[in-house]
Amino acid sequence: MNKAKKRHPLVDAKKPNLLEDTYPYSLPPLIRFEGPVVEYIDGKAVEFDFRAVKDRNILITDTTFRDGQQARPPYTIDQMVHIYDLMSRLGGPNGVIRQTEFFLYTKNDRETLDRCRALGHKYPECTGWIRALKGDFRLVKEAGLKETGVLTSCSDYHIFHKSKFRSRAECMDSYCEVVEAAFEAGVRPRCHLEDVTRADIDGFVLPFVDRLMEMSSQVPEKLSVKIRLCDTMGFGISYPGAELPRSIPKLIYKLNQECGVPSDRLEWHGHNDFHKVHTNAGTAWLYGCDVVNTTLFGFGERTGNPPLESAIFEYIALKGNLCGIETMAITELADYMRSIGLPIPENYPFVGRSFNTTRAGIHADGLRRDEQIYNIFDTEKLLDRPPRVAITDKSGTDGVVHWVNEFFGLKGEDRINKIKMHKLARWVIDQYDEHGRLTAISDQEVEAKVKELMPDYWEKYKGNQK
Amino acid sequence: MATVEERVKAVTARVLKLDPDEIKPEDSFTADLGAESVQSIELVAMFEEEFGIEMEEDAALSVETVGKAAEFIAQVCKEQGVVTDVS
Repeated sequence: MNKAKKRHPLVDAKKPNLLEDTYPYSLPPLIRFEGPVVEYIDGKAVEFDFRAVKDRNILITDTTFRDGQQARPPYTIDQMVHIYDLMSRLGGPNGVIRQTEFFLYTKNDRETLDRCRALGHKYPECTGWIRALKGDFRLVKEAGLKETGVLTSCSDYHIFHKSKFRSRAECMDSYCEVVEAAFEAGVRPRCHLEDVTRADIDGFVLPFVDRLMEMSSQVPEKLSVKIRLCDTMGFGISYPGAELPRSIPKLIYKLNQECGVPSDRLEWHGHNDFHKVHTNAGTAWLYGCDVVNTTLFGFGERTGNPPLESAIFEYIALKGNLCGIETMAITELADYMRSIGLPIPENYPFVGRSFNTTRAGIHADGLRRDEQIYNIFDTEKLLDRPPRVAITDKSGTDGVVHWVNEFFGLKGEDRINKIKMHKLARWVIDQYDEHGRLTAISDQEVEAKVKELMPDYWEKYKGNQK
Repeated sequence: MATVEERVKAVTARVLKLDPDEIKPEDSFTADLGAESVQSIELVAMFEEEFGIEMEEDAALSVETVGKAAEFIAQVCKEQGVVTDVS
């Protein structure tokens, strides 16, 4: 057993210290930093002060209609326009969700773009996504876009095995020709450094970015190249001390401080193959990359991308206020996505049907006493999702009444009283008293019983389900 | 035709699985007749069904004895235009 090195006397208290500076409840828990952190880069200690993030113009971009759509059957035009509209509300007037990108290849792609822009929202700005082909700039120009993503894959896996270049030099020249074509077309290129976490950073990535920065110095600022760091396979690592090319801190430092890419022209695009996607995006923000690229509910190629809604809560937690963000739109977006067939797991944070449902009887009791005990923040105020209680033998009739009214979204005078639920309450009690059940009753079971035992209410309110 | 009180006793006996002859007006549903929480609600629901009335939840659940329940129900029937004496 280790010998204790420091004694820690009890600080007795008669009143609770609820740490409200960090847990204000009206907001998600705030992320507060004590001081700088140190990363050793090329043998030198480099300090990063994360507290600066509060004043930096960090932003979120979206690729729900591009990367997100590569992982599912196509959205209809109407669906995309509706999602775009809700996304604009979510990001608010300050444009916290600054941009979203669109394919430009088909008639439907272009009609979608036109209809989204016709809504007249300032944010998210619409940008494009094309291959690294000069001819594709015609599409960007015809669409009247100011910026487009350009695929510039940078690992040797992609350079040699996918794109079949004969050398890195040939690859770089080819990419730079495309960037030149973008400048000539008056379109800002956003170079997507695909597979950067598996690339030769010193041998290809930094020389390529040096060249892009040199080219950018020859054109007006509004055309200067943006760099998207694409962690295509989810290999990126947030831990201090990790090696390149997987180290996100070192990658961002090198591009930002050595190549001179300004923070506002650096963007992180992650994938979730190792369950690191959200933390990696937050890490990118902290180490000097202003923009993180996301998709709604993380839906994207394979395991998906940083979830937009999680980035929103991270943003609020780092900034300490809502900054004009309309968080309620997250719930609307989730409801809409479910309605058009996008599956959202029950336990999915912020929007899953059970994300704030307490199951254990003892927790439910705590929740009834004070919802803050088992609720992450004021989910009713921020997401229109009050905390819920799963039905168990400890729920009592009040718990059943709470469940049903919450399920149907009924409030005030509209709430169904307990007398109308006597059959359901009896069924719940019999599960435990008569049938010896030991587990909580799932939402699906209660839902089926509501349908069976309260058919009139089911017919009347089934459309209200949350 | 049975009186309101007799009908209340019959419903109470059915829900609580008791002999109606053993139920007295002064009996408390919970203390004397052993009604648990959910049975109290079932009683109110069954009274509503028996008499064809709607009762205010809190008021109905606060009635303690069989006799008071008969009085309460008779009053509600009167207010809601439900005829109880059809002999």
